[in-house]
Amino acid sequence: MIAEIGIDYNLCKDPLGCRKCLSVCPSVIFVCGPTKIWKGRETDPSEYRIAGRYFDKCSGCGDCVKVCPTGAIKVEFLPREQLAQQFRIERAAQLKERNS
Amino acid sequence: MCWVCEKYGNKGEKWYLNPENYARRLYKVRKEGKEAAGSDADPQSAGMGAGVVAELVKARISGNLEWEEEIKREALEHAYQTHFGQVVTLDEYLQILDIAYPLAKMTCGCRRVQRGMPDDENFTCMGIGPGMYKWERWPETYRGGVEFVTPEEAKEWALMNHKEGRVQTVDVFGTPYIGGLCQCEYPGCVAVRNRIDYDFKFLLKGHTVAKVDREKCTGCKSCLGRCQFKALNLEVYTSKAYVDMDQCFGCGLCVTACPTNAIELFDRENMPGLAENW
Repeated sequence: MIAEIGIDYNLCKDPLGCRKCLSVCPSVIFVCGPTKIWKGRETDPSEYRIAGRYFDKCSGCGDCVKVCPTGAIKVEFLPREQLAQQFRIERAAQLKERNS
Repeated sequence: MCWVCEKYGNKGEKWYLNPENYARRLYKVRKEGKEAAGSDADPQSAGMGAGVVAELVKARISGNLEWEEEIKREALEHAYQTHFGQVVTLDEYLQILDIAYPLAKMTCGCRRVQRGMPDDENFTCMGIGPGMYKWERWPETYRGGVEFVTPEEAKEWALMNHKEGRVQTVDVFGTPYIGGLCQCEYPGCVAVRNRIDYDFKFLLKGHTVAKVDREKCTGCKSCLGRCQFKALNLEVYTSKAYVDMDQCFGCGLCVTACPTNAIELFDRENMPGLAENW
């Protein structure tokens, strides 16, 4: 099974300041990056977003869900084959577009 | 010979010891653009060489090797012309600190994005070269500010980092210009992690390989825990350190931890079985 990690960005507003999920995750699944880069100033923390980048390494321990103060993280598991099928379709579409 | 040395080394010297590769010009003509207005960034691609991870993960899960190879091939073709890194030894790192100038301590972007490390605990990278004089143009890259240091201060800091167990690397920003000296580890460093977990060769192995002298090794285990590349463990049944030389990146962290000098660095290129293993 492979994790599907959902973040509710209406609830998660200051991921870099909070960083609880980043800190607790035993598998370092999350990444917290800027959505904007500005010339002459740092990106505002509100322009940072968490994502479950390495979701294929998630064990499903649930620590991130427990530690999140706003309840913004949802982790569900899907059969690997279901996801594999979905990504194969994406790949086929990509190849089709390239060859057209 | 390593392909970067072949192209950018000075007569067979290592490319990162060639002063020319630190001499990036300070000014270049820029095209007018929307950059000042705040350009979009993909949070998923934050961290050194991470732009392809999302795609790689999909290819991995779908078990499509051809797709995975294609992602890597295309990404590396671009990376090797623009932005990549290589492991160096402590000695080489100290030599570089005498070649490059100016030197400015800065925060590690990888550990910030992967662990949310607070800036004051995260000054483990070093920006180098004339480009550092204009760091304030793009403060997000240097989040937390920079601290210019003398070569002597930089060396002391590098020795401390080595002692604490960080791997030392050179990082190119616009091949062949080296703009960063990083001190990396698994899994906090995105480049190390992507190399180890996804075999994405954004980070090249170094020019040396560690070898254990089994006569000298006493099995004291001082070296255990030093390796950031999953290349070192205890061979329990003989009670000797075991270095997987095929997996070794040649950083030398295990070497300096050994009290009996039982681990030594050898030139990768003098080992026919490993000479092309970058």
